[in-house]
Amino acid sequence: MSPITLIARKESAELLKSGRGLAWLLALSVILSVLSLLLVSNTELSLLDNAQVVYMVMGTITALGALLAVVLGSDAIAGEKERGSLVPLLLAPLSTTDIVFGKMGGQVVAWIVTYLLSLPYLWAVGSSGQNLAEAIVYLAVFGTPVVLGFGFYALGLSARFGSVRAALITALITLMLLASPLLLGPGLRQSVIGKAFDAVNPFSAAVNSFDSVVIDSQPLSMQLGRLSVTLVWLILTLWFARRSVQAVEI
Amino acid sequence: MKKTALWLGACLLLIGANATWAAVPMEITLVADNANPQSPQMGDHMKFISTIKNSGNAPAQGVVAWISLVQVDSGNEQPVDLEDWSAHKAVTQASLAPGGQITVEWPMRLIQAGDYRVVISAVERSTQHIITSPFIDFHIKRKPVVESQRILPVAFGVPLMLGVLILWRIRKRWRA
Repeated sequence: MSPITLIARKESAELLKSGRGLAWLLALSVILSVLSLLLVSNTELSLLDNAQVVYMVMGTITALGALLAVVLGSDAIAGEKERGSLVPLLLAPLSTTDIVFGKMGGQVVAWIVTYLLSLPYLWAVGSSGQNLAEAIVYLAVFGTPVVLGFGFYALGLSARFGSVRAALITALITLMLLASPLLLGPGLRQSVIGKAFDAVNPFSAAVNSFDSVVIDSQPLSMQLGRLSVTLVWLILTLWFARRSVQAVEI
Repeated sequence: MKKTALWLGACLLLIGANATWAAVPMEITLVADNANPQSPQMGDHMKFISTIKNSGNAPAQGVVAWISLVQVDSGNEQPVDLEDWSAHKAVTQASLAPGGQITVEWPMRLIQAGDYRVVISAVERSTQHIITSPFIDFHIKRKPVVESQRILPVAFGVPLMLGVLILWRIRKRWRA
C-alpha cells in the first residue's frame, strides 16, 4: 500500500469510523434539513422559482464543504505538532507529496460524503424544477476544486503557523471573504472592485456558474472561464501547501 | 389692476401652450412575443416587444423607456418590484430622429402566480407628460416550487438515520 493511501485511510477512518467522528456528518445533515424546512415554511422563499432554491442549496453545500476542509486542513500539520506526533511523521520515509496528498485524502473523503449527503436534499427541493441533473454534475465539477483548494490552503497555513488556532482563524477569515458572494447579491457586485473581485474569486466562479447553469440554463461553453478560475485556485493552493510542508522543520 | 391680471393670465397660457407645442409626439406599441408560452406558469420566460416611434417633426432628445408590471388580482392589486423578474428594466436613447423608431425587447422570468398587466412608459426631455403603450394582460399559473411532501421525509429522515448510526457505533464500541 502506498504511503499516500496509508495516511489517507488513517485520516478518513478518524472521520468516518468512530461514533464521535460522525457527529460532523449529523451536524451537516441538520443544517441542510433546517435550510430545506425554511424553504418550505417561509412564504417568501417558497415563492421563488424552483431553480433559485436549488441554486441556494448548491451554494450552501459548497460553503459547508469548504468550511469542513478549512477545519480539517488547519488541523492537518499543526494538530500533529500540538499532539506531539509531527516528529515521527516527518522522520518517516515520506516525501512532501506523500504527506500533502495523504492528509488531503481525509478531506477528499469528507467532501465525497458531504456531496453524497447533499443529493437527497437537492432532489427534495429541485426534482419538480429545471436542470436538477446539471445541478448535481456542476456541484461536483465546480465544488470539488473550490473545496479542495480551501483544504490545501488551510493545510499550508497549518504548516506555516504550527498552530491550529492561528491557521483556523486565518483560513476562516479567507473563507468568509471569498464566500461573500453568497450573501451579497449581484447588484452589490457591479462596481469595478466588485467585478474584479468576482473575476478572480474561485467561490464567485462556482456560484456564478451555478446561477448560469441552473437558473439561466446556459451551456458548458459559457462556464469554461469560470472553471479555469477554480482550477487555478486548486493549483495555486496545492503549490502553497507543498511549499509550506517542505518548509516545516523538526 | 384688472388689466394687469388679464395680461399675466394670457402670458401664462401662452407659456403653457408653447411647452405643449415644443413636445415631440411619440408613440409606443407593445406586443407579446410569438414564442411566449400559451399558458404561462411560474418559472417560464416571456418576452414583450415594444416599438417607440418619434412621429413628430423634431428629434426627440433623452428618451427613457421602462417596463412596469402591475398585479391585478382582485384584492391584491399592487405594483411588482421587477428585481427577480427581469434584468432589463429600462432603455435610454440619446436622440431619436423624426420618423425614427427603436424596437426594444423586454424579457422576463415569471416568478409569482397571478393576473398581471404589463405596460411600457416613456418620457422625452421636452415632453411634459408621460407616454404609455397599450396594456397587455396575462395570467401566470401557479406551479408547486418546493413540495413539503418531498422535503419533510428527507429533512427528518436523514438526520434521524445518521443519529441511529452514531448511537449504534457508540454502543458497539462500549460492548467491545
